[in-house]
Amino acid sequence: MSMGLVSYGVFFLSVVLILGIVALGLNLQWGYTGLFNAGIAGFYAIGAYTHSIITTPPRADLIANMGLPWVVGIAGAMAVTALAAWIIGLATIRLRGDYLAISTFGIAVTIQLVTLNFEALTGGSQGFTGIPRPLYGMFGSPFAFNLFYFALLLAVVALVYWGLERILRSPWGRVLKAVREDETAAIALGKSAISFRLQSFVIGSTLMGLAGALYVSFIGFVSPFDFLPIVTFQIWAMVIVGGSGNNKGALLGALTVWLIWASSGVAITKLVPPAHAAQGGAIQVILIGLMLVLALLFRPRGLIGEETMVSRHADER
Amino acid sequence: MKTTLGVAAALATIALMGPAPASAQQVSCPVKIGGILPLTGSMAPITKKIAESAQLALEHINQGGGIKGCPVELVLRDDQGQPTVGVDAAKYLVEVERVPAITGTISSGVTGPIISSVTGPSKIVQISCCSTASAFTLDGRSGGYFFRTLPTSKTQAFATASEITRRGLKKTAIIYVNTDFGVDMTKFVKLALPKLGGEIVAEVPYNDNQSSYRAEVTKALAAKPESLLLIGFPKDAVTIVREWLSLGGPQQIALNNSMRVMDFVNGVGPRFLNESFGMDNAQVAGPTVDAFNQAFEAKYKTDSKGPGVHTQYDALMVLGLAMNIAKDLTGPSIKDAVRQVHAAGGAQVGTGPEEFKKAISLIKDGKPIKYFGATGPIEFDANGDVTGPALVWKIKDGEIVTDRVISIEEMQALFKKVE
Repeated sequence: MSMGLVSYGVFFLSVVLILGIVALGLNLQWGYTGLFNAGIAGFYAIGAYTHSIITTPPRADLIANMGLPWVVGIAGAMAVTALAAWIIGLATIRLRGDYLAISTFGIAVTIQLVTLNFEALTGGSQGFTGIPRPLYGMFGSPFAFNLFYFALLLAVVALVYWGLERILRSPWGRVLKAVREDETAAIALGKSAISFRLQSFVIGSTLMGLAGALYVSFIGFVSPFDFLPIVTFQIWAMVIVGGSGNNKGALLGALTVWLIWASSGVAITKLVPPAHAAQGGAIQVILIGLMLVLALLFRPRGLIGEETMVSRHADER
Repeated sequence: MKTTLGVAAALATIALMGPAPASAQQVSCPVKIGGILPLTGSMAPITKKIAESAQLALEHINQGGGIKGCPVELVLRDDQGQPTVGVDAAKYLVEVERVPAITGTISSGVTGPIISSVTGPSKIVQISCCSTASAFTLDGRSGGYFFRTLPTSKTQAFATASEITRRGLKKTAIIYVNTDFGVDMTKFVKLALPKLGGEIVAEVPYNDNQSSYRAEVTKALAAKPESLLLIGFPKDAVTIVREWLSLGGPQQIALNNSMRVMDFVNGVGPRFLNESFGMDNAQVAGPTVDAFNQAFEAKYKTDSKGPGVHTQYDALMVLGLAMNIAKDLTGPSIKDAVRQVHAAGGAQVGTGPEEFKKAISLIKDGKPIKYFGATGPIEFDANGDVTGPALVWKIKDGEIVTDRVISIEEMQALFKKVE
């Protein structure tokens, strides 16, 4: 395997891991709780911009940059996203299904427009350049840094995955499923459905904010174009293709969908004669659509479906 | 988890070895150049011609002798107007295809992350035909590896301001697209117009892809302007101009370069545009420009008008020349060579395969060259930007025609007056 392929692979998988964290967040909301969050890009953006503002050194044309360490940025991004999700959740969480989808979609578009227009805070459409990367100076080559960051992401994803698996297998997680399957029954059993929905919404959105922060400190640049509605669509595709209601499925979905997206571009450059490369782009978009449809035709419940989860105390009787 | 650790350990070992040193002297054929353009998505309508222009440049380079005796391949990838997709494509081109240089892309929101995460750190030369965000080339954030062949929005903005005042229009309302391009343009027009005797009475941003812009138009009209300056992209501009005129706005409408396409003119209806005028970066009239236009028309059976068409040709030609000048095909060498493409006292070379052939033989003899491209003389300043003349166009009998050209000398005088 050539060196270049390894270097690209590390970069590619880093993006997959970041998107995987977002997919895990959505999976908690949709897969386990049945919350139709169509505002993923918005929470992703809040995390990304909070981190950028906290870590980028002060600049004359921007009002709030702090130049604080990376870890502070990550923590701040999660805290601010959680707070935003909580406020948005208070206002919207009582809405069901498509109503929740429409309102969260609207909020995400609003957030994107704020990042575009609040120039003094976000840099507007010019974006933020020079977002610091953690320990970047310690690495001699971009590849060494990418490898370090990949390992870091791997650790974060492992932690998030472990944490989610733990809470979802606890009584708390079973209540979420109960709310998803039959909210009235859950309420009849004395559970506050609204409260559980809100908790799930906030935790899931916080993960999206975390991913946003990890993304910008990997790329070093952020602009409102990073948070167009297509991002929300891609994450949904990942959770659906991977298998909603299964955290492994969410991660596998992230890998599969992003692989389809990237490899179709490579395939076009190999298959389409260079003289027709300009038309190749259209074929790529068709390929992406085709592969997503095929995945759903052959695996309607996703690549890995939901697994049955019962209390570990169930067979003690 | 064990396997994960195993993989991690293996990767760590590779990391310690470092990336394989690029062989400096020998050049393996064919030479690849990476290309990234939004072939699909909202920019797709203008990208088609730009991509064709890139293909034409590639053809000319190959017919003119290629790079260091090798045929050249352009590996063109679609960024879909999405930053993550563009970054992934760039990383693939640099690491797997091993391209020593990239041309691209159009949207600044995609160009930015490519510079910061791929071409900047990996020291790969990137030349864009179309990204205007001023931040990229300021204070060396790209490490000097980013160039662009279109004059930044400043040139166009100053030219626009001067043309508005030349036509005696005092009160102007600006409606601009809320992107880096629109914001930059508005910023520079605001700087210039008052100093040239004009006045801005309203500034209204708009967001693209809406079905109606009545609110924006009404707001701009409320200030009772004598003219409108519309900065944006053709599809939405058609809607805006139609609403502007139907609400009784004056026909004196100044337009930016993106509107210099027949789609826009026919979309609005040419008879409503007799009083309007637009700006573009001038393809200085000259033999090198004509040669390009003729070659383009001959190959694609359509005219070469349109945003980015000429600058994309120059982006690739500059790479072709620089890679012949560079002592080896590594990023740092090519970066230095880009600055020698328009050397002081060099022999003039132009567009087309014959001129490229001539340039190569001059380079082989160790003589300096001075490239005049499809957009005139291409000379990069310290930031990697080009300055250039501007052009005023108008619509006459349903056709887009050139009204006058503002030469480089006039532009320089204008810059002095404003700054």
